Amino acid sequence: MNARQDPVSRLVWIWLTLLVLLAVTTASAYVDLGAGNSIANLIIAAAKAALIALFFMHLRRSDATVRVAAGAALLFLFFLAFLTFGDYLTRPMHPAPWRSPQESTLNPHAV
Amino acid sequence: MSSHAAHFESDSHRHETAELGMWVFLATELMFFGPLLLGYAVGREMYGQAFAAASRHTDVVIGTINTAVLLTSSLFMALAAAAVRSDRTRMTMRCLLLTAALGVVFLVLKGFEYLSEWQEHLVPWADFRFEPRLRQGAGYFYYLYFAMTGLHALHLTIGIVASIVFALRLRVNSARALASQVGVTGLYWHFVDMIWVFLYPILYLVERHG
Repeated sequence: MNARQDPVSRLVWIWLTLLVLLAVTTASAYVDLGAGNSIANLIIAAAKAALIALFFMHLRRSDATVRVAAGAALLFLFFLAFLTFGDYLTRPMHPAPWRSPQESTLNPHAV
Repeated sequence: MSSHAAHFESDSHRHETAELGMWVFLATELMFFGPLLLGYAVGREMYGQAFAAASRHTDVVIGTINTAVLLTSSLFMALAAAAVRSDRTRMTMRCLLLTAALGVVFLVLKGFEYLSEWQEHLVPWADFRFEPRLRQGAGYFYYLYFAMTGLHALHLTIGIVASIVFALRLRVNSARALASQVGVTGLYWHFVDMIWVFLYPILYLVERHG
């Protein structure tokens, strides 16, 4: 099991990198980048998650079955999102007759 | 001295089996948080302006400090896992207790945050007040906010209890005997940290510059 171990100094470096990424994501939120704000946030969050999974959860050195389990989770999350947005983004939404016009205009799809 | 049961060939076989079991469990946990994240994505698409306004009412200072606290707790948990594998019992115990302590710090700060949100009438099921034009979307945001952070806090509480239990068991058991348990608790802890890594920008950082 010792072969799978990361040295302490590497774990500390990963932690420092995570804190730097946190600072970058927080600072970037105060600059108007338009849609770029959300994209930057999500890319940085994904990078942080990857560092945690690869080094803290040592996925980097895990065997194939563990990688399949981790990959399956992401794959099914993708199915969930893909099928849901396939519906929400392509189907026009009509306000229900019992909703007030004011409520309906809050929903851009209802216009 | 080996500590594995008869149906395992070796300690490392036992350890690998426990790890795989935890990963499969975490995959189902992602299906637990996943629909909330998806509900958020749909809401953001439908009520973009209201989500931005609602997000600006969250406490970004506490949110940022708490993110750093959790990332640091994950470092100590990773150090605990490293210590347990090199059979350093006392070091493992200290790291586990530090991890749990940082988890408690997170929950206390989160509690203060919930209190101020209660006082600012941001709890959607209790006298929710918001700019009327954006009220519906902001209510959707705060429902998700409390569901996501509440579910996360529940998971963190379970992680804190597990860390303390195994730290206490290390007073009587050797690190070697508890290596699998500590390793698997670590995987769970890092997963809960990873969930927060995504919650932080989508709840606290939506159009902060506005």
